[in-house]
Amino acid sequence: MESGNPLLDDYVLGLCKAERPRVCFLPQASGDADHYIVRFYRAFAATRCEASHISLFRREQGPDDIRRHLLSQDLIYVGGGSVVSLLGVWKAHGIDAILREAWEAGVILCGLSAGSLCWFAEAVTGFHGAPKRLEGLGLLPFSNCVHYDPKSDRREAYHRFLREGMCPGYAAEDGAALHFVGEELSRVVASRPEARGYRLDVSGQRVMEMRIATTYLGERGVVPEAALPEALSTALPAG
Amino acid sequence: MVRRILTLGGHDFTSRPPDRAVCEFLLRLATERGGERPRICILPTASGDTSDLIQSFYGAFGDRPCEPSDVSLFRLGRRPMALRDHLLAQDLIYVGGGSMVNLLAVWEAHDIASILSLAWRQGIVLAGQSAGAMCWFEAGITKSSGKPLEAAGLGLLHGSLCVHYNNEPERRAAYLEAVDDGMPPGYGLDDYAGLLWEGEDTPSAVTARRGARAYRVTKGDEGAMESPLPARFLPAPAPAALREDIAEFRRIKTMRRRAGWLG
Repeated sequence: MESGNPLLDDYVLGLCKAERPRVCFLPQASGDADHYIVRFYRAFAATRCEASHISLFRREQGPDDIRRHLLSQDLIYVGGGSVVSLLGVWKAHGIDAILREAWEAGVILCGLSAGSLCWFAEAVTGFHGAPKRLEGLGLLPFSNCVHYDPKSDRREAYHRFLREGMCPGYAAEDGAALHFVGEELSRVVASRPEARGYRLDVSGQRVMEMRIATTYLGERGVVPEAALPEALSTALPAG
Repeated sequence: MVRRILTLGGHDFTSRPPDRAVCEFLLRLATERGGERPRICILPTASGDTSDLIQSFYGAFGDRPCEPSDVSLFRLGRRPMALRDHLLAQDLIYVGGGSMVNLLAVWEAHDIASILSLAWRQGIVLAGQSAGAMCWFEAGITKSSGKPLEAAGLGLLHGSLCVHYNNEPERRAAYLEAVDDGMPPGYGLDDYAGLLWEGEDTPSAVTARRGARAYRVTKGDEGAMESPLPARFLPAPAPAALREDIAEFRRIKTMRRRAGWLG
């Protein structure tokens, strides 16, 4: 749902086996903001999929049986915003358990920003104030950091959290997407030529940050068969 | 320190007389604590921080003698603020309507409940309508999941509350049944009826529309029983446009008097 860039939307729709995939949008991280829901329907137009959304703030709209609706989807797309609010609302409505069930049943789960962080065991949120560490749904047994930028305070905070015992994980720059199959990272794709994903490990006080070979979705014929480490950089603790 | 909470069965922020009466009463309660320009903050969490609600709140209070603000938890990313400091600096905190279940879940995630409870003990007036009224009680009847169901609140006030009482018959029926089944008894509030709590004991009922009532709901031998409470009528002030006209008229009258035009 990047504005003016459908590459990642095309990619994730391409993962669905159905000819006209059923796609459901969960906009809770934004408080079910109307403008965001409109953007979703624009990006996932009726010409190529059967789109729907679930609003937990306005239950008079949408399906009655949320569980059945979610389990019948090919793809569930989670929007960005406040991951803290997102997880709070989901827990109150039992959506967390339904999403795990959907994942186990083979429904493709996807999302950006808060909609990425939520799937991991741990995450770095920088939505409000200084970056904070929080627990996600834990479908993926890693940590996650989004809007990753060499200069951002999120990166610095992520490295610090790793040294303080956060589990190893993955980071993505804006425009990069981490594609997991089961609990394994399958590949990293991007809607911008320069966007990258990273693998982060920690050994004692030493954080290892590894750039992951990333497939730019904008050019044809350059798809590598497997994701290979493209460069290795080691970040040492500051001071 | 008087601990005050105003719980309202339902209202909007339009310029219609009963809405103006409710806003006038909110302003008065804020003024009683904060003086001439009290600080009034809306927490629109239950609606998902919709811009419609926030705009209508500023529409109602923007040109009144107060300092209105909003805390939008879903917008903190774009507009960071020190939540605790901001909330504890208010004279009145108003909680908007929407989903009671989401309201409490998001508050819990952001640890807002403890701040509100402290605000209340410090004499900051707490207020709200619909979900924003039921949240202060032990329990309420919410339609957060579609059909009316019992939901837990913060429990600053004992018992329970059911809002939109005679406006949504299925909600009232669900409440009476729940009370009969052992839900803590409490109160029913029609749209435009309210209860002003000073401390936790007996509240006083107010109404901004003729016929809108507050009810005490108890459990008797033959099930839940409701009894209407005597309520004080809240008059509507002149609308904003009229107030400006009056002010203009007075200015002209004064000028004329000074100029000796009017004896």
